[in-house]
Amino acid sequence: MKYGLAVVLLLGASANYAQAPGPGAEGVGNLVFGSFQNPHNAQKWAERVSYLLDTSIEVEQLHNAQRVWYRVVSSVDSTMTLSAVKRAADAHKLAYWRWMELPGSVNVADTTLAEKTELVEPPSSEYLLAGRDALAGRQAEQDVRHPSPSRPGELALPGDAMSATRQANTTDNSQLDFDLGLQTRTYRLDGFNGQSRFQPSLSGRLDYYRSWDDERQALTFAPYFRYDVEDSQRTHFDVRELFWSKVGTDWDLHVGVKQVFWGVTEFHHLVDVLNQTDLVENIDGEDKLGQPMVHLSLVRDWGILDIFALTGFRERTFPGQDGRLRTIPWVDGDHPIYESGAKNKRVDGAIRWSHNIGPFEFGVYHFTGTSREPQLVPWVLPSGEMMLRPRYPVIDQTGLEALAVLGDWAVKIEAITRSGYGPRYVAFNLGFEKTLVGIMDSRADLGLVVEYMFDDRDEQAFNTVFEHDLAFGARWSMNDVADTQALLGVIWDVKTEETIFTMEASRRLGDTWTLLLEGRVFGGADEPESGAVMQSLIDIDNKTASLQRDDFIQLELTRYF
Amino acid sequence: MVNIGFGVSLDQGLRRTVGVGLCFCSYLFLFCSGPVTAALPDEADLTAEEYGLAVFREADLRGAGYVDLQVNLEMILRNSRGRESRRLLRIKQLEIPADGDKLLIVFDTPKSLKGSALLSFSHKVEPDDQWLFLPAVKRVKRIASRNKSGPFLSSEFAFEDLTLQEVEKFTYRFLRRELLDDRECFVVQRKAVGKYSGYSKQVVWMDTEAFRIQQIEYFNRREELMKTLKVEGYTQYDGRYWKADRMLMVNHQTGKSTELVWRDYRFATGLSEERDFSTNSLRRVR
Repeated sequence: MKYGLAVVLLLGASANYAQAPGPGAEGVGNLVFGSFQNPHNAQKWAERVSYLLDTSIEVEQLHNAQRVWYRVVSSVDSTMTLSAVKRAADAHKLAYWRWMELPGSVNVADTTLAEKTELVEPPSSEYLLAGRDALAGRQAEQDVRHPSPSRPGELALPGDAMSATRQANTTDNSQLDFDLGLQTRTYRLDGFNGQSRFQPSLSGRLDYYRSWDDERQALTFAPYFRYDVEDSQRTHFDVRELFWSKVGTDWDLHVGVKQVFWGVTEFHHLVDVLNQTDLVENIDGEDKLGQPMVHLSLVRDWGILDIFALTGFRERTFPGQDGRLRTIPWVDGDHPIYESGAKNKRVDGAIRWSHNIGPFEFGVYHFTGTSREPQLVPWVLPSGEMMLRPRYPVIDQTGLEALAVLGDWAVKIEAITRSGYGPRYVAFNLGFEKTLVGIMDSRADLGLVVEYMFDDRDEQAFNTVFEHDLAFGARWSMNDVADTQALLGVIWDVKTEETIFTMEASRRLGDTWTLLLEGRVFGGADEPESGAVMQSLIDIDNKTASLQRDDFIQLELTRYF
Repeated sequence: MVNIGFGVSLDQGLRRTVGVGLCFCSYLFLFCSGPVTAALPDEADLTAEEYGLAVFREADLRGAGYVDLQVNLEMILRNSRGRESRRLLRIKQLEIPADGDKLLIVFDTPKSLKGSALLSFSHKVEPDDQWLFLPAVKRVKRIASRNKSGPFLSSEFAFEDLTLQEVEKFTYRFLRRELLDDRECFVVQRKAVGKYSGYSKQVVWMDTEAFRIQQIEYFNRREELMKTLKVEGYTQYDGRYWKADRMLMVNHQTGKSTELVWRDYRFATGLSEERDFSTNSLRRVR
């Protein structure tokens, strides 16, 4: 079948025909809405323009050298004036060109050429009138009958697209990466119990990922180890992640050992409760142990709903007797006390709803189960040696996190209410963050953070040092090829005057090495006297007393493979 | 934000088919025997602002309808002494007809950045929504998208150069037509609406044949020429979309440059808004 001469199709007749004045003084001529090589695309576009402007739109066939073009133009026969079509097109922000039809030039197409060109048969006018949706449906149908394997995106129809993906993506995908890190910590002083000033260690991390079934299923395996020369408790191995995932269109299911982070503030991660802290790694609480779980996530119009069954409890790691950055009587993390009779076999649960609306986002959750955060109970061994044992109570915790981006400011809040630690209590973090881009005409950015941390138990909050603390932070990013960054922070207890200074700086060396420098300085608390260590434990104005000799500088070199 | 196109090719790049330009010109040339410039109707009737806008609207229209796309990108960063550093990224983009588009960028190298990802929802008028995934701490962090004048991955491309450049986000002024590398181009000046751009203006060369961006000059706030982008190697996909396979941004003030090499474009691959462009998909990128 062939198109023949210029005017081929008449689409979507306008309901306004009767009222609209005929083409008149404003001149003959057409508006051109686009030109196509593929007649289907021209039809689709003509259909859409006709639908939007509520007027007749034609597809014209043109010949130019060896090519055939299909041009979408307003109809010469239309009863809408040219300027009315223009106004409508402007209202819909449709781009157009005006083409003045010149006498004698109407017959553009070369019939001979047209006959030589193989063209797809145009759809019947009946179905063109049936509207856009019907068009889409019919075309999809046609594609099933006459599949075109080479150009999956040509018609850009959903059914077509899906089948194309299935064809394209059936191969398995697997990735294996690992890195090795050499770390040295140097402390300003010996420890209270004579621990060494120098603490070297070596760490390794492996990351294996394999997906199949069009990336709808995947396996992730990420083991981790650290060997510490001084502290046998810091020498440890952990499966950070080992889980299977199945991803549906609007849901994910994950089964296995996994890490999940919640929260928006920078200095204290109050609402983040699912994973146990790997405290021997660092005291900032950002290193976590893998948590066994079944995690179902639903993605809906009203946000994301996450449901967790947490199958089994992980005990917090604590530095050993020879380790630094610990309480003065050391904590025997291997002999915990559980409130739950099921001990570490208790199945805990959590449910969380999160959503974002433009510049606002929030998440609310409820967690019920064994607290990841232990109380420390003094214990005297038969030998008379004093130590601490972690006690894990069962808690109910409801949490909220919210964030608003206001211009170049971000305002953040994290809040929890928790029962099971004595009377129910409330704690929150409130934070502001501002980023200055291109400071002093350079490429560098400066991010400034102010956060306030509050706990309504005041100094009686035995499990935290953040009861009424202010924190200030500045992150300087060079935006250079080596990604050089530096972070300075200070946390200041406004009542007890205790302070913790933090410094972190990092840069890449070439493409496969990174260098990280980190330091902390603890101030404002009194060093406990050697005879009064138990006393120091309950000195609520000196919670950081045991860290006063632990100021350190850490250097870490990591090689990625 | 970043959208493919890196501003250029994807976004305005080619839209809707092949060119009205070509079709038009040759058609009128053949049958009207007038000068080629007569092929552009109404130029005289429009102000320079209207005409500039019309050029960009047409370019925008020609890129519409792609449904979704995936592409791999290599960034080659060169300093003034010619020393190179490379980054590999994977990009997924989804067309949202009523609003801006959605974009996911996954970083593959350098290895220290592997697994990081950026999710961006662009909007026609409101600021874009952006999230960054930090794999070391498994954290999805919302970022203030108004910080768009900063460098993207330490390259000479700013975030705003890569963002989906919705037509509504600029005002335009048609300057002239001129030949650039033997191609006839519209030369249009555009200025970002709002105060967060790092540029006072941009001058864009877009060819009259298929409305593809060929070159952009970026002027800093002091109105000095700061950077020039050259776009090369346009290929037409699916008989419709023109995509460049090479872009070169040269910073005249530092002598540094960044080359973008685009590979393996795929269209209408069946990406889903919920499955591929939610914060959940950020957490599981690989």
